[in-house]
Amino acid sequence: MTTNPPDEASGGGPSPEAAASLPTDFARFDELVESLEHWSRSADQWPPARRVCEQWVDVEPRLDRARRELSRVLVVGVIGGTGTGKSTLVNALAGCDVSSASDVARPTTIYPVVVVSQDLDLSFFPVDAMQARVVRSSSPAVANIVLIDCPDPDTQPESEGADRPLAIPHAHPSRPSDTNHNRDLLEAIVPACDVLLLVATAQKYRSWLVAREVAAFAPGRPLLFVQTHASRDPDIRGDWQKELESQGFMVPHIFRVDGLEAARRAVAGVTQEPEFQALVTAIDKELVGRAARRVRRTGAIDLAGWFLRESRGHIEPYAGAVRALVAGVETQQSRLEELVGRAIALRLRRSRFSWQHILTDEIVDGWQGGPFAMFLHTLKAIAAFWPRMRSAGGSLLSRVLAGQAVVPVTNTHGAWQAITELGLDESEVEQSRSILVGLAARARLSEPLVGRARLDGLAVQATVGTLLERSGAWLAAGIQRLVAERRGQIDGRIFRGFFELLFSGLLVAVLGRAGWNFFVGHLWLGRPVDGAGFLFEAFVWLVLWGFLLRWVVFARVRMGLDRDIRTLISQLPHAKLVDPLLADFAAAAEKAHDFIQRGERLERDWQSLARAVLEPDGGLGRLRREPL
Amino acid sequence: MEVRSPVATTDGREGKKARSVVAPEFLQREASATLAASASSIQELCRLITALESLGESLGVPDPRRTEWYGQLFDKLAPQVSGEALLVAAVCGGTNTGKSLITNALIGSQISCSVPEAARTRFPVASLPRGMADKINPSELFPEFVTVPWRSPQDGIDGYGDESLPAEAGSHLLIWREDPSGQQPTRLVLIDTPDIDGTLRENGHRARLVRNACDVIVAVLTQQKYNDAPVREFFTAAATAKKTVIVVFNMIDWPQQRQRIAGWLATFMAETGVKPAAVYAVPFSAEAAAAGRIVFHALPELNAHAKSSLVIEGDCPEGVADLAARLAGPDFDRIKLEAMKGALAVVLDPDQGAGAWLDAFESTAQQWQQARRVLGDRASVKVDLPSAPRELVWNEIWQWLEPKRSGFDLTVSKVYRVAGKGVMWVARQTGLTRSEAKSREDFSALELAALKQALTSFVERLQDTSRSNPRLATMLQGVLVEGDRTAWYADLERRHAALPIVSRDYRTFVRSELDHFSSNNPDTVRWIVTGLNVGAFARPAITVALGLAGAAAVPAAAATAGGLSTLVHHVGDVVVGTAATLAGEGALGLTVAGLKPLIETLFAGWSAERSRVLAETLHRVVLGDRLDEIDRLATAAARPEVAAARRLLFNIREFSR
Repeated sequence: MTTNPPDEASGGGPSPEAAASLPTDFARFDELVESLEHWSRSADQWPPARRVCEQWVDVEPRLDRARRELSRVLVVGVIGGTGTGKSTLVNALAGCDVSSASDVARPTTIYPVVVVSQDLDLSFFPVDAMQARVVRSSSPAVANIVLIDCPDPDTQPESEGADRPLAIPHAHPSRPSDTNHNRDLLEAIVPACDVLLLVATAQKYRSWLVAREVAAFAPGRPLLFVQTHASRDPDIRGDWQKELESQGFMVPHIFRVDGLEAARRAVAGVTQEPEFQALVTAIDKELVGRAARRVRRTGAIDLAGWFLRESRGHIEPYAGAVRALVAGVETQQSRLEELVGRAIALRLRRSRFSWQHILTDEIVDGWQGGPFAMFLHTLKAIAAFWPRMRSAGGSLLSRVLAGQAVVPVTNTHGAWQAITELGLDESEVEQSRSILVGLAARARLSEPLVGRARLDGLAVQATVGTLLERSGAWLAAGIQRLVAERRGQIDGRIFRGFFELLFSGLLVAVLGRAGWNFFVGHLWLGRPVDGAGFLFEAFVWLVLWGFLLRWVVFARVRMGLDRDIRTLISQLPHAKLVDPLLADFAAAAEKAHDFIQRGERLERDWQSLARAVLEPDGGLGRLRREPL
Repeated sequence: MEVRSPVATTDGREGKKARSVVAPEFLQREASATLAASASSIQELCRLITALESLGESLGVPDPRRTEWYGQLFDKLAPQVSGEALLVAAVCGGTNTGKSLITNALIGSQISCSVPEAARTRFPVASLPRGMADKINPSELFPEFVTVPWRSPQDGIDGYGDESLPAEAGSHLLIWREDPSGQQPTRLVLIDTPDIDGTLRENGHRARLVRNACDVIVAVLTQQKYNDAPVREFFTAAATAKKTVIVVFNMIDWPQQRQRIAGWLATFMAETGVKPAAVYAVPFSAEAAAAGRIVFHALPELNAHAKSSLVIEGDCPEGVADLAARLAGPDFDRIKLEAMKGALAVVLDPDQGAGAWLDAFESTAQQWQQARRVLGDRASVKVDLPSAPRELVWNEIWQWLEPKRSGFDLTVSKVYRVAGKGVMWVARQTGLTRSEAKSREDFSALELAALKQALTSFVERLQDTSRSNPRLATMLQGVLVEGDRTAWYADLERRHAALPIVSRDYRTFVRSELDHFSSNNPDTVRWIVTGLNVGAFARPAITVALGLAGAAAVPAAAATAGGLSTLVHHVGDVVVGTAATLAGEGALGLTVAGLKPLIETLFAGWSAERSRVLAETLHRVVLGDRLDEIDRLATAAARPEVAAARRLLFNIREFSR
């Protein structure tokens, strides 16, 4: 209620600023209604959201009508308990006897009476549907409104199963009141009303039956409060105001009039008593012309706010459970990931043999030229004759390490078998799923929104297949990166040069020694030739030296492999490998969580809109919050 | 639960001392001694109903406290069928109809404040005749209320200075005062009640409690409030229970509206079934109300058919006090008896009375029986435990046999055990079999997985079962929805980890089975020895594997194991753990055949022992005492109280014919 166009507060003509602000306000309101529409229909399988949706089906036409029929006259429904003088008041306002008012029998008014001015087009109003009688009046009080004298809500018997205090024994099989459907009629009329004029007396203002009906009708309908029977009843307005406020109403003013006296004066054409005059003025000021637009807009925004509050009431009890489910999904994911991580780490560490192969191949392939390279290539060529052990087993890891493709799973049993290697088995997955089934049930998420603890055959193949593919891809990528990093450590020219140098050193030394022996020792000094013996010995030493260097190179490569495997495993959560196993829970939790958050966001949007658009309240009461 | 004899006369309601069952004089005088004879039956019925009430609540039977028969039985019959005869008259009506004003007029002094605001009287205010409090404890007369003495006319509005009473006691207060003037007839209690239709619904509840207890109702109606749904409902119940109703039309524009009253009254009577004993009109007059001097107009035209001494001619305020006197006058017995019989009729009503509640009780209990059956049928699970490590069981048998064997056997056995160990050592070293610790670890992991899986399946079965049975759904809601499932698995893991591989229980079990077997089959002891000689001879080379050891984990009854299929003899090399070729009854099977059932039992016992872990988790952590509770509810219909209550109702009904 911060912005306050002065003209609106005073009920005068439109000011330029207010007129300019209107279209944007309405654009915003339209936007809000559209968001509400989209939101409330977005998750209708979740029971709390379904209730929101059901409520929306009731609210939506009213909001829609408020937008479309912005400029038509307001329909004011006069409601209140039986005998409070509704018809008398309507007669007084209409200026003549339009509705029979008497104390002969209760209830008096059964079919509603609609009072309109002489020339008003009533085509928008469902007269026939509500079995109403239309009366034209030339009274200034009803010149620019439609006034409906409604039946009472408190003479129809409570239907079975409602919150009736006690069951009535079958003493009277048929009673006259069995044919009383006043409340049903009233419930058919009120939807057409924009504003309610609540009439009460000292005897009726604290009647729970009336209070219940009013509370049901009040959302989105501004109210005028009138205490009648002023000439004989004490003034209970203070107490009534307290009562109304405890029911969540904002009560700016209660009029206290004597309907009988006012009707008499109206017929006689005498000046009305000031309090009645104030009521007529209030109707004219608050409900006519520009004020009517404001009332309708206020009503629509209030209705949207009420809908959001009600929706929150449906959702909020489950918000905690949804959060717990979201957290639970994460917990279970990380639990399974931990199992996977542990198993993969163990197996990666265990398969040094395969590592060595890969690394050897990688390193040797990338090391060309030079005697040491030649030595390595020779060794590799010789090793190629040796059958590779354990490389082509059926397991995922060895296949990945051997650079082979992941075999797709073809049956349920095979699927479970396939992921046993990843540290997961049926019981672990089912345990996680069962825990989540419990959490989901707390959030009212059950089948078919989420699956069962035990995955059926198709689901197993699908999820495990995805899991295997992902794990294979992730492992292959991880291992490739790891190998590349390792190779990078020995890829430098200096590193290679150094080893080439070391290897060549011995070669040169051996050759040099042989040359020295022959040229200097034999030819020059005349010593006898050593023969092939030396060369053979030298060759053995050279090979041993080569193996030593090769070992050093590979040791350099292997150094920190465990640490690297740990690093690789620590990246497991990012890979979301196990997600497919719990995907249904994650999706359902996410959707419900999203629904809740969007609801909260819409409520904030509504608040800012309400702050921007709603003016300080004039003489009209409104339902502002839930009852205490 | 302890079952008392149905003829015991102790008052079953807690905290109330037993009252002597002596029929009051008005009943003894009455030709019909029905009620007098029923007095002890009624107290007993109360006791039985009270005993069943909490069970009924657990069963899900609709709360009887909100029913008419319960009110008539506990608030009317039980306190009033014995002891001092009293007439309780209550002034009832809608908000702001002037109940307090009329009560004050009837009593003749201001006992209750009359204020312009509606629904201000929150607690009933009773005026007792002088000296009555010495004879009767008001709390016995109004058992639903906490009764406190009157201090000022504000008491009915403010309660009783909330600080002086505990909060829960303050919810249903009844304030009483002994008539200071001594004018009030000695056997008459007059009560001002809270409204019946106000937004404070507790007021209406208190008004109904007072209505249940009273014999006479002064119905305060106005032209606005004679045909409201809550008003009709309230007085319909009064008419059904045969309360004497005096109608007072208040705030009448006198005499203009006098002609209207006939129409209003006709509507009221047709709607509620009330046949007023008298009809009065009280004119609207703010001054008279302020002065507390209101005028009652008898309406002869409406009282013509009333034929009651409660109709007073004339229009003076003095007539009002006279009305109170007349209530306790010649009509006393008739009014009292009618109210008591009316109350009894409500209790005995076959469709709405106590019998109907017992019907509901029994049919609900039958639903629980059905639920128990469904649960027993469906909620079971097969535990696919891995094959037991056979050496464990055989070890146990060996240990039992050790002292019973001949020297040669022992030698042979020792030789082969050593040989077997040697072979196993080689096998392990070559990596063909795993170490014992490792294989135990693997076995343990497999076993835990099987147990966890069984737990999951069991929970899922519970869920499916409860979905099909609404009773079970409510009972198991707390388990399946609110239960902390993570804790269940943790508990299972903990129990499994704590279970030794061979527990003392199992060892005892093996010994007792073997002892039992050898004592039952003295002839076959030779067979056992022979069989085990063969076993000893063949031990390193023969392994016996259990094909399937499934034990149904029925909570609290896991000791019996079934589902054993076959013992499989595997003749082959030293490979332990892979029963690759199933040789069936091999060459050696013949000799072991006599032992087959025994060995089956021993293996089954071991598996059952393992499965008990799951059963314990299910019983202790998952289900808690809910199975006991279901059992309790399923047997509720067979409770002796039900039959006793039915018998009593039948007896009372027969009597009152």
